[in-house]
Amino acid sequence: MSISPYIRSRWFEDIPVGEFHVFGNHTFSEKEIIEFGKKYAPNVYHTDPEGALDTIYRGLIASGWHICAVWMRMMVDYMERFATGVQDGRRNGAGVGFEDMKWLRPVRPGHTLTFTYEIISKFDKVVRDRWGIIRSRNEAFNQNGELVFSFEIDILAERQPR
Amino acid sequence: MKTEGLRRWDDLQTGETYDAKGITITRRDILDFAADFDPQPYHLDPEAANDSIFGGLCASGWHVTALMMRLLTDTFTEQNIDLLGSNRVGQLRWRKPVFADDTLASKITITEKTPAEEDKRFGFIDCDIDVSNQHGDSVINLTTSLMIGTGEAGA
Repeated sequence: MSISPYIRSRWFEDIPVGEFHVFGNHTFSEKEIIEFGKKYAPNVYHTDPEGALDTIYRGLIASGWHICAVWMRMMVDYMERFATGVQDGRRNGAGVGFEDMKWLRPVRPGHTLTFTYEIISKFDKVVRDRWGIIRSRNEAFNQNGELVFSFEIDILAERQPR
Repeated sequence: MKTEGLRRWDDLQTGETYDAKGITITRRDILDFAADFDPQPYHLDPEAANDSIFGGLCASGWHVTALMMRLLTDTFTEQNIDLLGSNRVGQLRWRKPVFADDTLASKITITEKTPAEEDKRFGFIDCDIDVSNQHGDSVINLTTSLMIGTGEAGA
């Protein structure tokens, strides 16, 4: 496990499989859970602390898609903090898709998730002339160290011009 | 949601499809979501976006998945289906960018039903979900497993 601070300033060719990063952690507040729930997933267990007590969750929980959005924010912040030369000509790579996303345990108000990222493979296929694909395994653990969320995502990385 | 007439896991059949009506995404929506969750130039700055792989200011991919969830939730509420959440997405692809003033609709197809082994309170339905824009182009598609209430009492 090596930790490199230069994720985004590297070419596709220079990104090593096996690299591991901890993006950081985030505590979910009741307010933000409800706000996200009302906008995007208006079910009682995401929007109403009282009503949620009568559901299978026995209380308010964060929408799974809220956890995804927070994952993205954690990644962007991590990149901003550690990348050098973000605007040096190599552009931000977009996500292509993901596989095997699992929401394993409820995330409740006050829970703190720690997000980890490991590069697990690279695809040599060339996308739109200049992009390669990096696959990472992403996990989030709660304050008790329990795995609550995981997925594998494919993200474009710019190839070194020949 | 009314309990009377609530559609439970037993009432749903493989092959059923639901069309979710449109949601229009504004430029303000795109900028707000990006500021909260995905502050990258192609979601925040029109100039930088023109120069990006997307060719213009576009919504975060996670904004699009959130809107997919809104379409799904509204449709299941309208259909009075007892949606209790989701435990898994098998695969999702972002196929085309979503721009300001695009209107998204979605088609949800039940592909499989599986009982939950350890909990009688819900069963799973596997669904294919396709979200498309006003031109009929698919913008995301995914396979997901949803939890639907059975009406059985808790463990």
